[in-house]
Amino acid sequence: MNRYPSVVILLHWTMAAGFIFMLASGLYMVNADISKAEQFQLYQTHKSAGVVMLVAILIRIAVKVFASSPELPSAIPAEERKLAKLGHLALYLLLLAIPFAGWIMVSASPFGLPTFVFVDWLKWPHFPGVSKNKSVEEVAKLAHLYLVIIMIAVLLTHIGALFWHKKKQGILLLNRMWW
Amino acid sequence: MKSFSYVVIIFVSMMSTHVHALQLDADSSNATLSFSGQHAGMTFTGVFERWQSQLILPPNQEPSIKAEFILASAKTGDSTYDETLPEEDWFHVEKFPVARFISTQINLLVDGYRVEGTLELKGKGLPIIFNLHNREDKLIGNFDVDRLAYGIGLESDPGAEWVSQNIRLSLTINL
Repeated sequence: MNRYPSVVILLHWTMAAGFIFMLASGLYMVNADISKAEQFQLYQTHKSAGVVMLVAILIRIAVKVFASSPELPSAIPAEERKLAKLGHLALYLLLLAIPFAGWIMVSASPFGLPTFVFVDWLKWPHFPGVSKNKSVEEVAKLAHLYLVIIMIAVLLTHIGALFWHKKKQGILLLNRMWW
Repeated sequence: MKSFSYVVIIFVSMMSTHVHALQLDADSSNATLSFSGQHAGMTFTGVFERWQSQLILPPNQEPSIKAEFILASAKTGDSTYDETLPEEDWFHVEKFPVARFISTQINLLVDGYRVEGTLELKGKGLPIIFNLHNREDKLIGNFDVDRLAYGIGLESDPGAEWVSQNIRLSLTINL
């Protein structure tokens, strides 16, 4: 079976690990009974890592545009191949929209705290024009949450599709995304 | 001549151990003005890197203390704080670049001075009182500033939930 280029495989699994970290840290920092100091630090880490996720998806999209993706095996019906493409498109859009919503949220926050990536090596700017805008912050916050819930549903479908194609067509698609 | 020199030395050394009619300029070269408070339960400290003051202390006839602080020179060494402090909700350094202190009354204490005056921050002048203590070859003073009274961080944290309401200022002048 044709597999994806190595750089795409690397990006895929790095971002998968990144998403799990973002989900876990996000849920923990909002809900866990932790000290304010820990909560504050975790927010800063989540913000920095979010910038990395945003940059990663942009690189992923650039690679997608310039590198060729292997076609799905012809044993998979055209209708299912179409659905797979739609599912992948949804993943790309969500991986772009989730950190973007987070960025808007941070930029509009009344705290006005800066975002530093890798401690203070790089200062990530605020999105212009939304500074200290509570209603924008509220909308971005809801979007950040609901997009993550949608992402989890799409991810479960993404993983479920692996089992579906293995069972139905006897094809282990995971091989396309592994070395 | 030699004995006269000794007398001068003794006299000068007496002058330096007893504060008589002290008059001096203090800035970051011979003094430290630091601030500290709590953020999210963590203590932060910082210094004003650029400030200057003139002190004319009792028993001078007209004692006074005047000081000016460049607010943009407040540095904690933590990028998150240092980037946030100059912002509109905190020091608003673009509109209010300088903070000022002018004394209204200075009285001699057993071990220093009691200073009353007005501290102007963010365009708002409020009365403060603090003691300057003589400690060996230093003048030391501590006082608290109520940041909310000056409208500092009023939008971000009006309930002092994250950043303590009182910010401790500590002044040490080397004599």
